[in-house]
Amino acid sequence: MSEARAVGPRPGDRVLVAMSGGVDSSVSAALLKQQGFDVVGATMKLYHDGADVPDRPCCSLDSVNDARRVCERIGVPHYVLNLQAPFARDVVDDFVAEYARGRTPIPCVRCNTFTKFSDLVATADRIDAPWIATGHYARMIDGRLHVGQDPAKDQSYFLWGIRREMLARMILPVGDRTKAETRAMARELGLRMVASKPESQDICFVPDGNHAEVVAARLGTEHAALQPGPLVLEDGRRVGTHDGFVRFTVGQRKGLPAGFAEPMFVLSIEAATRTVVIGPRASLTGHGVVAREVNWLAARPAVGSVFGARVRHRAPLVPATLVRDDGHEIELALTSGVQAIAPGQSVALYDGEALVGGGVIESGLRAKRALPVIAA
Amino acid sequence: MPEPLYFDHAATTPVRPEVVEAMIPYLGPRFGNPSSTHRWGREARAALDEARERVARCLGAKADEVCFTSGGTEADNLAVLGAFHAMSPKGRKTVVTTPIEHKAVLAAAHQAAREGGAERLVRMTPSGQVDGASYAESMTSDVAVVSVMWVNNETGSINPVPELAQQAKAAGALFHTDGVQAFGKLDVNTAQLAVDYLTMSGHKIGAPKGTGALFIRRGAPLEPLFHGGSQDRGRRPGTENVAFAVGLAVAAEMTIAERETEHVRLGRMRDRLQAALMAAVPDLIVHGAEGPRAVHVLNVSAPGTDAESMLMALDLAGIACSGGSACQSGSVEPSHVLAALGVRSDIAAAAVRLSLGVMTDDAAIDRVVQVFPTLVAKARGMALA
Repeated sequence: MSEARAVGPRPGDRVLVAMSGGVDSSVSAALLKQQGFDVVGATMKLYHDGADVPDRPCCSLDSVNDARRVCERIGVPHYVLNLQAPFARDVVDDFVAEYARGRTPIPCVRCNTFTKFSDLVATADRIDAPWIATGHYARMIDGRLHVGQDPAKDQSYFLWGIRREMLARMILPVGDRTKAETRAMARELGLRMVASKPESQDICFVPDGNHAEVVAARLGTEHAALQPGPLVLEDGRRVGTHDGFVRFTVGQRKGLPAGFAEPMFVLSIEAATRTVVIGPRASLTGHGVVAREVNWLAARPAVGSVFGARVRHRAPLVPATLVRDDGHEIELALTSGVQAIAPGQSVALYDGEALVGGGVIESGLRAKRALPVIAA
Repeated sequence: MPEPLYFDHAATTPVRPEVVEAMIPYLGPRFGNPSSTHRWGREARAALDEARERVARCLGAKADEVCFTSGGTEADNLAVLGAFHAMSPKGRKTVVTTPIEHKAVLAAAHQAAREGGAERLVRMTPSGQVDGASYAESMTSDVAVVSVMWVNNETGSINPVPELAQQAKAAGALFHTDGVQAFGKLDVNTAQLAVDYLTMSGHKIGAPKGTGALFIRRGAPLEPLFHGGSQDRGRRPGTENVAFAVGLAVAAEMTIAERETEHVRLGRMRDRLQAALMAAVPDLIVHGAEGPRAVHVLNVSAPGTDAESMLMALDLAGIACSGGSACQSGSVEPSHVLAALGVRSDIAAAAVRLSLGVMTDDAAIDRVVQVFPTLVAKARGMALA
């Protein structure tokens, strides 16, 4: 197996493809099959709420069936991996706990970090597959993970948490294509059952986008996160009451009272007092990020290193300098101000187009910080 | 890859060529509706009646005691709920069954409870048989129907249905047995049994999926599940599937004819497979081996492995078999049967069922003996890594 990896993916090698039943992973499997790989498809069953929602992009019975049909169509075996227990433990429980702390988690990052890729690699080992593949819009170049060719579809932001050694085994067949090209290819390959499937927008276990309901179902409607609390200005002046801080996220405008001189945004959430702090756009700007659960996909960089930082999916890259790394958390100084740095979201760090690491945002820092002078 | 091997006969079997041949005229020129009075209708009706007689003979029953169904699930539902509905106006509203039944029986018992009845599960012994004391305690005067599976589909465990039926009858209850895995493996003769209802399924014996029958003893009360015409004496309205009835009759006869030779052949192969796997994997656990067991099932757990990856690895190596009960999505769910027998959950999660039948020969057994232990060793190596 390790010999195979030393020379890179070659036709005939076995590759385990994670198939969601959507167009990207279906085309990934079909492309690899076309290139002569020994393709094995697997659909991860992550979540099941009892009632299978038709048209749900992922995890529904229909999705599993679509993935299986694609595999039958292209002539490769397909299996279902039941990951409901680890997903509930490592992703859903954390999602709920984070919201209850007033933060805005990204379950997809945790799923990639703790569930999807680790199980994929473990399963690949069991079936002697040196390679794993997914339908992510990102590219593997010289063993480094790069942003996808299609900037509108780039999914590298969600991948900073995977273990570095997995990179050596990853194949991302659609990362150098646009979504339109992928859809065209699906039609060309005869995969009509998935070619025009809608994009997955919602979080898979939050079908209608109502995360408050998921939190309520888990913690009960009496939980503090769902109780009314004060809406205050930065100076502490109370200007209203909200209906549960779980419904708010840093940078949010919707659901705030009108009647101020300028539009107001959520600046921070203080779970202990159920307080939601609001203020004008100018107060949203941050010049620094503190992050934890840091993961590096390259050698651990020295303090003073400069990266492109992304603090939100699809946000532009901002130059950022690593000013502190104490092993427990890192601090980044941003060259220009960034809006709405939300605790719980991720900061992904890039070297050019290559993703080199990231972490979970602990806090945004309003003040500009003097950069340390690095001795030569 | 060598030719793939099918070790999942308890899930389904290929349709016998003789069955296909016998059915074809009824899918073509002899297409008539058995209820029609004209020549096409008469021809179809005669074929249906003959098929019913032939299936009845295979069960030691009279023709009017055979009701064709769409398979085992429908027959189980018809028996359990049909008997429950018939008995509950008389104050007998409890369904007694076991925790190792097929989901069709368990879900029908749940339904009876939802409709105002009660469900009562008897305890099982670790070897897969009904606990005698628990069973005796359950035979109270409020019991409408007792349903006990004759041969369990996951472990092959045999329950003493003749005795259990007598006990239930003595307590004034009706008795049903799911005989889907028993037919063709045990001597199923309703003339010598006290059962009121017995389920059989076609696709386990070489007839198509969608075929099956419920034996309903003369005089046993039964409310139909469907409402419509008077077909099958009103017990199962709807135009009869003549081709499938004919197919079921041919498959049942062939199954009975070869039962004794197959019993010897499959038993010899299963025992050889079991002995060889136990020799190669000394800590292998064989489920149901402590009690009476049908010859076509071998359900094993290799501690430290899990069924999901074992099934995948076996399939990729060309060996098709099953885990617990496969759920609709195709993922492997923990077995309710093994849980009811007190099997530890990690051991139950490792359970792999190999079921033998028409497609099994000695060379196939040799391949499993060669491949299975290798995959176990590999899975354990991974688990340690």
